[in-house]
Amino acid sequence: MINNPIGFLSLSKREILRFFSVSSQTIFPPLISSTLFILIFGVAIGSRVDFGISGLSYLAFIVPGLMTMHLISGSYENTSSSLFIARWHNHIQEMLLSPLSYFEMVLGLLAGGVARGIVVSTGVFLISCFFTPIGIYHFFWLIYFVLMISVIFSCAGMMAALWAEDFGMLNVWHVYAIIPLVLLGGVFHPIEFLPEWLQTFSHLNPMLYLVSGIRYSMTGVTQIPMGICASIAFLMAIISFYFTVYLFRIGYKLRS
Amino acid sequence: MRNSEIAISLKGLTKYYQDLKALDDVSFDVKRGDFFAFLGPNGAGKTTTINAITGLSNYQDGEVKVFGYNAKTEYTRTRPLIGLCAQEFNFDPFLNIHQLLVYQAGYFGILPKVAAKRADELLNRFQLSEKRNVKHRALSGGMKKRLLLCRALIHEPEILILDEPTAGCDLELKFLIWDYLVQLNKEGKTIFLTTHYMEEAEKLCKTIGIINHGHIVRIGEKKAVLQDKSLQDVFLEVTGLE
Ligand SMILES: Nc1ncnc2c1ncn2[C@@H]1O[C@H](COP(=O)(O)OP(=O)(O)OP(=O)(O)O)[C@@H](O)[C@H]1O
Ligand SMILES: [Mg+2]
Repeated sequence: MINNPIGFLSLSKREILRFFSVSSQTIFPPLISSTLFILIFGVAIGSRVDFGISGLSYLAFIVPGLMTMHLISGSYENTSSSLFIARWHNHIQEMLLSPLSYFEMVLGLLAGGVARGIVVSTGVFLISCFFTPIGIYHFFWLIYFVLMISVIFSCAGMMAALWAEDFGMLNVWHVYAIIPLVLLGGVFHPIEFLPEWLQTFSHLNPMLYLVSGIRYSMTGVTQIPMGICASIAFLMAIISFYFTVYLFRIGYKLRS
Repeated sequence: MRNSEIAISLKGLTKYYQDLKALDDVSFDVKRGDFFAFLGPNGAGKTTTINAITGLSNYQDGEVKVFGYNAKTEYTRTRPLIGLCAQEFNFDPFLNIHQLLVYQAGYFGILPKVAAKRADELLNRFQLSEKRNVKHRALSGGMKKRLLLCRALIHEPEILILDEPTAGCDLELKFLIWDYLVQLNKEGKTIFLTTHYMEEAEKLCKTIGIINHGHIVRIGEKKAVLQDKSLQDVFLEVTGLE
């Protein structure tokens, strides 16, 4: 599988150090916006909302949602920007000329996306601890879902970076598809609160299962069986990973 | 290596860019230890051929082998054998030039400690040591050319492919590069050079190939190709530019 471990580690290291080196653009903005969300929606408004879901406060309900949202954005933005800039400046050739296999290339780029997603969502969690005591109900599931989600959206970021022809196109999927689906997937609301027709639609939204997975891992509360959430997450991760490797293999927009 | 005598073997290489046939049934071998000049007018297909060899470009038909390994299906074996000094600058803008070389070596499976030492040696040889901590943007054109060479050599490849390495270089740098290439060739490395400078090709090379509109129009040992004419005359004759 990995025949060139040093090559893979070099690429991973480059990807991880890159987002740390521009932390004012990659790490702090989501932390600041999360603090404001928690303050405004969780503390100020949430304390006046009679929420009525298994004894959870509204604040405790939205923290896992916020974590998921930033896990998704962080992973997506990292791989999409890194790979797109590499295509744009053509230093992608440094990697393409090397004996890294396509599998290793994708895995190396993935490491950056996964690491950034984890750093940012952990940061959101730590900030929330200042406002409300949130434990971790099921540590194994938390790790599992964090990994699956960051893999899915790191791969989505790579696909977008290959597909995009300019910087504007890079965020099209993020803005028009991923963010709306994530928000409708129950980041800030239990889907039972929606009108019936929208609830039906929500069950077709894969994000619902990802958000629910993280929320269950942290609070122990779930409206959807974990087996279903875990299987959907796994399936999405595997498909997106191998599809990305496939795009590298055929050289989609990588080779002229 | 599966075939230790033929460094690069192209068979029936055909490449289209949309409707444009950039390479038309290109076939030739480059022997191990050769100093091969690959010449042709602008747009003849030199860079396209190089990209097919290094795996930077897809092609519709034909086969590329590097020391007997198929460059498409056995790319993890062929790529360590090749160092490419590309025609255009393409450096990672986030790294300083020393880091850039160390990472590049890393992708080739070289440990950071070994890579750092090699990077220092190469930067020193190409008189870039003073600039080791700056990003490539802060280099002059000639310095960037030298950095391309350092990067191509960082993993000590068997074959060095140079796409117009001396374009835009001053005389001193040209001589520095020439001397180094001759030395590498003497050490047994195979050199594949494209250039628009006829005197460069004539002086350095053992074998010459000329491509025009994607066709190989002349190829052979230097003596056989020249037949007492100057390379410039032969070039003009076979490319129809007389
Ligand atoms: N990415 C590309 N897309 C479309 N056409 C291309 C592309 N790259 C090269 N070509 C075309 O293919 C032909 C061969 O180009 P190539 O770059 O191989 O020429 P060259 O021999 O390297 O020329 P030069 O001496 O100017 O570098 C040219 O007609 C060129 O316009
Ligand atoms: Mg060229």
